[in-house]
Amino acid sequence: MTERSEDLYPLALLMDELKHDDVANRVEAMKKLDTIALALGPQRTRDELVPFLTEVAQDDEDEVFAFLAEQLGKFVPYVGGNKYATLLLPALEILASTEETLVRDKAVNSLNNIAQELSQEQLFHDFIPLIENLATNEWFSSKVSACGLFKAVLVRVQDDKFRKELLALFLQLTQDDTPMVRRAAGRNLPTLIDLLTQNIHLSTNEDWDYISNMFQRLVGDSQDSVKFLAVEVLISILKFFNKKEDSTHTKGLLHSAVQLIGDEAWRVRYMAADCFEDLASQFTADPAYIEELVQPFLALCEDNESDVRKAIAKQIPGFAKLLPNSQIVLNKILPVVQTLCTDESETVRASLASEVTSLAPLLSKQEAIDNLIPILLNMLKDEFPDVRLNIITKLKVVNEATGIDFLTENLLPAITELAKDDNWRVRMAIIEYIPLLAEQLGVEFFDQQLADLCLSWLWDTVYSIRYAAVINLKKLTEVFGSDWSRERIISCLLKSDTQVLENFVYRITLLSALTELIPVVSAEVITDKILPFINHLSTDSVPNIRFNAAKSYAVMVETLGKEYNDLIKESVIIALEKLCQDSDVDVRYFAGQSLEKCKSLLS
Amino acid sequence: MDIDNDVPMKDAMEDHLDQAIDEDSGGGSVTYFNNVSWRSVSGIADSKSSKPLELTASNINQLDQWIEHLSKCQVLSEEDVGKLCRMAVDVLQFEGNVQPVSVPVTICGDVHGQFHDLIELFKIGGPCPDTNYLFMGDYVDRGYYSVETVSYLVAMKVRYPNRITILRGNHESRQITQVYGFYDECLRKYGSANVWKMFTDLFDYFPITALVDNKIFCLHGGLSPMIETIDQVRELNRVQEVPHEGPMCDLLWSDPDDRGGWGISPRGAGFTFGQDISEQFNHTNDLSLIARAHQLVMDGYAWSHQQSVVTIFSAPNYCYRCGNQAAIMEVDENHNRQFLQYDPSVRPGEPTVSRKTPDYFL
Repeated sequence: MTERSEDLYPLALLMDELKHDDVANRVEAMKKLDTIALALGPQRTRDELVPFLTEVAQDDEDEVFAFLAEQLGKFVPYVGGNKYATLLLPALEILASTEETLVRDKAVNSLNNIAQELSQEQLFHDFIPLIENLATNEWFSSKVSACGLFKAVLVRVQDDKFRKELLALFLQLTQDDTPMVRRAAGRNLPTLIDLLTQNIHLSTNEDWDYISNMFQRLVGDSQDSVKFLAVEVLISILKFFNKKEDSTHTKGLLHSAVQLIGDEAWRVRYMAADCFEDLASQFTADPAYIEELVQPFLALCEDNESDVRKAIAKQIPGFAKLLPNSQIVLNKILPVVQTLCTDESETVRASLASEVTSLAPLLSKQEAIDNLIPILLNMLKDEFPDVRLNIITKLKVVNEATGIDFLTENLLPAITELAKDDNWRVRMAIIEYIPLLAEQLGVEFFDQQLADLCLSWLWDTVYSIRYAAVINLKKLTEVFGSDWSRERIISCLLKSDTQVLENFVYRITLLSALTELIPVVSAEVITDKILPFINHLSTDSVPNIRFNAAKSYAVMVETLGKEYNDLIKESVIIALEKLCQDSDVDVRYFAGQSLEKCKSLLS
Repeated sequence: MDIDNDVPMKDAMEDHLDQAIDEDSGGGSVTYFNNVSWRSVSGIADSKSSKPLELTASNINQLDQWIEHLSKCQVLSEEDVGKLCRMAVDVLQFEGNVQPVSVPVTICGDVHGQFHDLIELFKIGGPCPDTNYLFMGDYVDRGYYSVETVSYLVAMKVRYPNRITILRGNHESRQITQVYGFYDECLRKYGSANVWKMFTDLFDYFPITALVDNKIFCLHGGLSPMIETIDQVRELNRVQEVPHEGPMCDLLWSDPDDRGGWGISPRGAGFTFGQDISEQFNHTNDLSLIARAHQLVMDGYAWSHQQSVVTIFSAPNYCYRCGNQAAIMEVDENHNRQFLQYDPSVRPGEPTVSRKTPDYFL
């Protein structure tokens, strides 16, 4: 124990800082609360600090409140464990009633954390009354906070009567006068239902009467911003009954779903569109139900609001997968895809492009070739780069479904076209697709059609493309082997036009390409082809080339290993030692690093 | 702790704010207050070394960590910014008013706190130190990430002094940064003005011009009627707050113009200069080109004065709303020039429209 006077010091200091004129100082003091509490020990934290903080919580700036609310959530150990945790509730209750959302959210978060540590008795005695206070307070801000606290207690209350009371209270919140409260209630309701789903045998029929009542309130709400929350609530309800294998309500809920999907408020339709796959997948028990959703689905695809079409365009393959047979995909879904791919809004087209390729596995090979591929080819010519990009990055599934022969005939021209696209990110996506294509095409065809293209990317004006081209060559070497790389790539690189090599950018690209290839080619290729070239560049006039040559040496020694001790000593080490005497500081640094690495590898 | 420092600073600040600087408002006059001698209040230049910084292994290690951290758009701690600025003073104080730069080099214009677009710039031009860079000022203000941007560039400068050159722009100034965002951003991100004080004290040491291979004269703004030869630039005392008039001010503020001769700048500081002036200057100093930044150009670069002056602007979609392309200029070892244009980096969730009014672009 330290002396009493020193003991008082931290608290006095904190209080001083908390009264400082500058908000920043007060915030800083709040951040150090845990240290102070630790110094004071649990007894004095309970007796002095917590009451003091409860006062602070009533009179300061929002910035300070935000940190206080956050800190209090971690305070249970400092007050002496869960036995005393309820002491923290009054301050948090005040903070949960403030007007600033940020403060409230942090207070609610902290309250939920603390609730985890409370015993049943503490819950009944302190926490639930706190929820009741907040929920029945006059101000909307308290009620909004209350909505976020039910999840901490709902399933921990084993007593049916208490749970019913809680749900009755929550029902009140869903029919509050202010839309803010109703919105908060609607937003929290799915979490509560999911908790009941996780504890499937807990809830009673009476509980579900309340929940059904809440759902009906939301569906009937006059505010779109409340009403649209009903979609997620519906999904949660369906999940509960599906888990319970209770299908008595399914038909009624399907009816609700169809109504929400066709709601006159576009925000509600948007929400339904955004969750469509999730929603529809709750009805898979009976194919007839899924078929009933087809028409509403098609209506969303033709919605007047582009945001709705954008949301549903992403859900197309997900929904199509649920359909009982491919005829519906062919006859109903593909026609709307056809329409959407020429949608006036580019974001709708981009959204469609991001998922549409996944339709391929749902069709037979011939159906895909006849009906889907023309759409994809069209989209590859879209004027908006994101559309092209999204199609290219997801082409793999199409390959798998239609086979490579078809792809080479039809998509290859489109790919070579896009390889020259003005947008570098489109070029990038094509390059990243090449190794995959190479694997499927085979070496002969690849050499004929794509090898030159792959080399040409090395001379792109954009660095990221040049680098991607380098990595591409490495991956291709992994696919086709060292001999292929020597014949087809390395010899071409070493024969590069001397005029091209007058430009530093191309020399450094070439150096980077050869360095990346070192680990994937045979030792003979390294010693015969790559080493002489790097030796040559180690005396380049540009220091950036020299220090990259120094870095390459380390990669080379790492790959060759001790077997090549003699060669390394007479060639690499000597070159590096020379670079260590270079006039440029960066060359000396990187040469020193490489030399050290080489020596440790050889010793 | 530094209460002593706080007091005079606050007074000085209030002075400024009273006399708001209306930087780009066409026609409006700029009111600067009288020359206030700016004391180094942050202390970063209190123990300057007498010879250029030589990096130790632990320095290098620390700098590499900072660079790694900053490249994720995360700010350094206040303490680390202090260390960085102290090191930077010992690098920058030994650079010339006309810092010599060799080819190959990639020349860039205004960045203005658009950190993600700076990262895009490196994706287009290649990473530093593999590529040499010359930045012509205006790293801070307007964008949301001035602190990260300037910290990153200064850290790169200290780590690789021969690979990157950072010149001073008119926004690297105590006065301008209080109006256009850097000061507020420091306050918001650090809770105090200390980091702002350190950086603005450091800005005094930034070189004001660079000379690429004796052929391309690079600076933020433009020419000055008081400067005929590059040697005259070398004679200036640059270690001070950007003055409100005189040659140093002009170099950071002037703009080329279609009209010949010298003209009054609508910015209220610096001058406009015509083709005759540029050609004479290039002839006198045996130059092939003047490269400068300072003005928004829709294609990212723009020639003027029959290719004796080029403007380079490297902040795409300036202020997240102008819709302009950005550009950088690669100069290879044979003095071939290539412009690379680019668009804003792709980053979901970023605001695309600024809340500020657009009047200052006009």
